Amino acid sequence: MKWLAAGAAAAAAIFALIAPLLLKPFGIYLISMWAVLTIAALGLNLTLGYAGQVSLAQGAFVGIGAYTVALLTPVGCPFALAFLAAGALCFAVGWVLGYPALRVQHHYLAFVTLAFSTLVFLVLRNEEWLTGGIYGINGVARPSFFGWSTFKALNFYYFSLGMLAVLAAATWWMLRSPWGRAFVALRENPVRALSLGLDTRRYTLMAFAIGSSLGGMAGALYAPLVQFIEPVSFTLGLSFNLLLMVIVGGSGYFFGPFVGALIAVLLPEWMRVAQGYYLIVYAMLVMVMMAFCPSGILGLLERALKAFAPRGKEAAP
Amino acid sequence: MSAVLQVSNLRKSFGGITAVDGVSFEVREGEILGIIGPNGSGKSTLFNCVLGQLSPNGGEVRVDGKPTTGMRPCDLNRLGVSRTFQLLQVFPQLSVRDNLILAGQEHRGTMLSRLIGRADAGLGDAADQMIAFFRLSHLSSAPAGLLSYGQQKLLDAAMAFMAGPRLVLLDEPAGGVNLTMLGHLRERLQAYHAERKATFVVIEHQMEFVMALCTRVLVLAEGRIIAEGAPRDIARNPAVIEAYLGH
Repeated sequence: MKWLAAGAAAAAAIFALIAPLLLKPFGIYLISMWAVLTIAALGLNLTLGYAGQVSLAQGAFVGIGAYTVALLTPVGCPFALAFLAAGALCFAVGWVLGYPALRVQHHYLAFVTLAFSTLVFLVLRNEEWLTGGIYGINGVARPSFFGWSTFKALNFYYFSLGMLAVLAAATWWMLRSPWGRAFVALRENPVRALSLGLDTRRYTLMAFAIGSSLGGMAGALYAPLVQFIEPVSFTLGLSFNLLLMVIVGGSGYFFGPFVGALIAVLLPEWMRVAQGYYLIVYAMLVMVMMAFCPSGILGLLERALKAFAPRGKEAAP
Repeated sequence: MSAVLQVSNLRKSFGGITAVDGVSFEVREGEILGIIGPNGSGKSTLFNCVLGQLSPNGGEVRVDGKPTTGMRPCDLNRLGVSRTFQLLQVFPQLSVRDNLILAGQEHRGTMLSRLIGRADAGLGDAADQMIAFFRLSHLSSAPAGLLSYGQQKLLDAAMAFMAGPRLVLLDEPAGGVNLTMLGHLRERLQAYHAERKATFVVIEHQMEFVMALCTRVLVLAEGRIIAEGAPRDIARNPAVIEAYLGH
């Protein structure tokens, strides 16, 4: 099964490298958006899928990251530094947002993060002196590195893909380390985890902070991708969309966000043939999918592979 | 022999109900102390107060002479105090091996070294040995949730031993386990005790299990200690018989 997953991941990586060569500019823009939102969904998958902490604030962190880059780069800050600042700022804010998770869980925690999301939107909209208010910030520049410009759509796609690869590899490393095991323990049984010496408080805050930081870094790429940012792009709608990506792809599966983001970014575009009804069709497809595979597409795939795999010895006598 | 655990005048109330009422006792190094008592006698509350899961209203707990009253369970665990719970508490989606590595990993290195170090935190061999000791080798890579109830009880106990604790508190280890598995569990606990000179405190209802395993027994009723002594003496104690059977 592991070899099958590795083979599928390698095939997908090759496809991701070749795909833009076959696409028109709008197609390249869409797959760039997929790469950027996958990073944000990876972060939410860490917080929600692995550590079991509900968050409806990931869209707000994408916004904080986007505005950080949009505000720092015009004043001469190198993109790399602005990118790191976006990640660091969201790490710090995410850490603070994690504190309520030490006291409340599930839907209560969802409401706390929902309130935070609304607060960020209000700040972005009302603090016009800093954020441009409802007019947003226009002309966010795409970065250059050692003479290589990412201004062209194709170049920016490969840049986003490279960043996705680096951040996904770092997340993979963390999840295979004792930290990953601790996050799962936090989700499955925090009381037992505490009794085994796990500082559940620190791991909860860490899960929030790292997940938020990934959201911020996604935002730092989002701003130069779209080149114009405004507060309405980072409302609760984006947080729900990122949540959808994690759930549809398979919450707690490493590759879940990759699949979920692909569906959430591309499916609405494919559905445009249904014209004004495309969102209704999209919503119905998502509802059917959730009804038949609540563990997401990768959960369904795992069940199917297990069903067809040769029977091993049963664990329980 | 020095006292590993000292409990002095411990009290815990829930509203108007006093669950633990001025309990004092010591656990000496290397002994297996059994705590028995009818349902509602305050055994689990006593455990939870000792282990930091509940804050006592009064009294003091010391581990190796160090005050630990109100200490967080994770800090107590790092001091060498481990426990099992009355209800099964394994991590069902993690493999048996990962459950055991998890049980020991926080005793190794720092947060940073656990992030950048080896995936098994250097505990792979120790986990395999513990799995072999509890005769679960054939299930090493199986998700813990797929094990039978008895096997999960064995795993639960193995997890409590993984970090090489000074003191292990076992809360009804025999609860719900069939007779064959019960014998196996008792035999493994005795073997571990003999091999590592570990100190156990066991809460249990299954009297045969307590009598065969424990070196000393303490009886609780209505939050107070009503008897203390060797298992054979406790079995004949009229106050204990009355507490269990009523008037």
